[in-house]
Amino acid sequence: MKSKKEKMLSTLLWIVFLVIAWEVGACIVAVTKRSPENILPHLYQIIAAACSTKQVSAGMSATMVVLTSARATILRALVGFAVGASIGFLLALIMKLSGFFEKMLFPYLMLIQLIPVLGLAPIILSITGDINKSRIVIAAILSFYPVATNTLAGFHSVEKEKYDLMYIYAAPKWMIYLKVLIPSSIPYFFTGMKIAAPMAITASILVDTLQGDGGMGCMLSQSLKHAMSIYVFWLIVIFSAFIGIFSSYLMNWIEKLVSPAKRVG
Amino acid sequence: MSELEKNVEIEIRDLSVTFKDNSGNDVQALTAVNLDIYKGEFISLLGPSGCGKTTLLRCISDLQEPTDGTVRIDGMTPKEIRLKQKFGFVFQQPVLFDWRTVKKNVELPLEIMYESKAERAKRADEMLELVGLQNFANHYPKQLSGGMQQRVNIARAFGSWPELLLMDEPFSALDEFTKEKLHEDLLRIWRQTNKTIIFVTHNIQEAVFLSDRICVLSPHPGRLSAIVDVDLPRPRTLEMKDTQHFNDLVLKVRNSFEGGSV
Repeated sequence: MKSKKEKMLSTLLWIVFLVIAWEVGACIVAVTKRSPENILPHLYQIIAAACSTKQVSAGMSATMVVLTSARATILRALVGFAVGASIGFLLALIMKLSGFFEKMLFPYLMLIQLIPVLGLAPIILSITGDINKSRIVIAAILSFYPVATNTLAGFHSVEKEKYDLMYIYAAPKWMIYLKVLIPSSIPYFFTGMKIAAPMAITASILVDTLQGDGGMGCMLSQSLKHAMSIYVFWLIVIFSAFIGIFSSYLMNWIEKLVSPAKRVG
Repeated sequence: MSELEKNVEIEIRDLSVTFKDNSGNDVQALTAVNLDIYKGEFISLLGPSGCGKTTLLRCISDLQEPTDGTVRIDGMTPKEIRLKQKFGFVFQQPVLFDWRTVKKNVELPLEIMYESKAERAKRADEMLELVGLQNFANHYPKQLSGGMQQRVNIARAFGSWPELLLMDEPFSALDEFTKEKLHEDLLRIWRQTNKTIIFVTHNIQEAVFLSDRICVLSPHPGRLSAIVDVDLPRPRTLEMKDTQHFNDLVLKVRNSFEGGSV
């Protein structure tokens, strides 16, 4: 219980520290730059913009703009993430089942991860010809790698004694997978998903910027070009940061939901 | 056990195991072991590290292929016995599954044997009561002490009703107090279930306290150097450890090691 209190305290301290650092920065920017809201506005200005009902684009307030655009972006990120995580898990399973596949696939999986998304995104867009499909594909590409590598590490983490035990009782191979390997890999699988979830959202936002049909990234670049209130930009920055953090926490929560042993440990 | 009751269950003939070490040289882990193990007896394989005692256990349980010689259990090969799911094995480490409750851990071998849900639950409850963990059935392994985890390990091995129970230094990682308690518990369960137990250890007192017979193995190369009968009466009690007879047996075992002091 003590550690939980300490954790909450440290979170609180971090928030206070960040708010102070932000405000100190904003005060300095306010007196030294000509248009401070472009560089670092005060937090109360951002909050005011979020609460304001003033129409900034197509008859919507700033918050409405952010939420509407977020819906498109996050839904695609979610689909891409689900597809990527599933492919990642299956790939790990295939690599575990066959040493040949592991040797053949594993070194090259990393190559896909090394290609900058910024370069990959336009290619995917021209292949699929659809911004929504591109969001999904890019989110999937970024998600599958952390999930695949972590899950594979989970399969490899099973101790020799557990195999010996299953051998002694003459368990068939499928049972070893079902009762030992897959359950052992679950915590690792979730570690992969905790890394992948915010990445899928980032990827989806990035793909938005390629075409103007109203995702978060699209609004981001429009507000930067002063096509609408600059505060839309700040709202999106803060909102997407929260979504990213939230997605990782969501994975934590789901993990505890599916593995009761985790709740007592 | 009187001579008349002795029924050979396991016949080990000229058993040799050779390993390759890192530089590719042959290492004789076991050399020409001949041994008969009787039905229902508690037999220990005792020796220092490198004497091949675990290798011998692994040959009996089909975890290790002998280089030479044969093992026959009721006339069958270890593999045939294994495929009939007649072995129980207790490892040095508890080897429990973190995501399963204590009870579900005990049920695992029974799941592999396709026992019905009701039967699994019934036998797991019985076994947990036998090792004194009935109140911890729904706990997870991480919530238990090392001694309790090892009890779960033992309950799991007995729960599948094995013909033959193989124990590989099961108590060597436990403290003295826990160890003595588990010794008594093990002997009690053994008496109630009448299984043949093959017990690997490097602890002379432990071997003398538990066993009917002790196979003394010596290293370099690993070989069977003596078989000592332990004629302490049963049921064994902790007080016996203070008797002259017990100490004589310990000394006899210690003197039967070959290749100098151990």
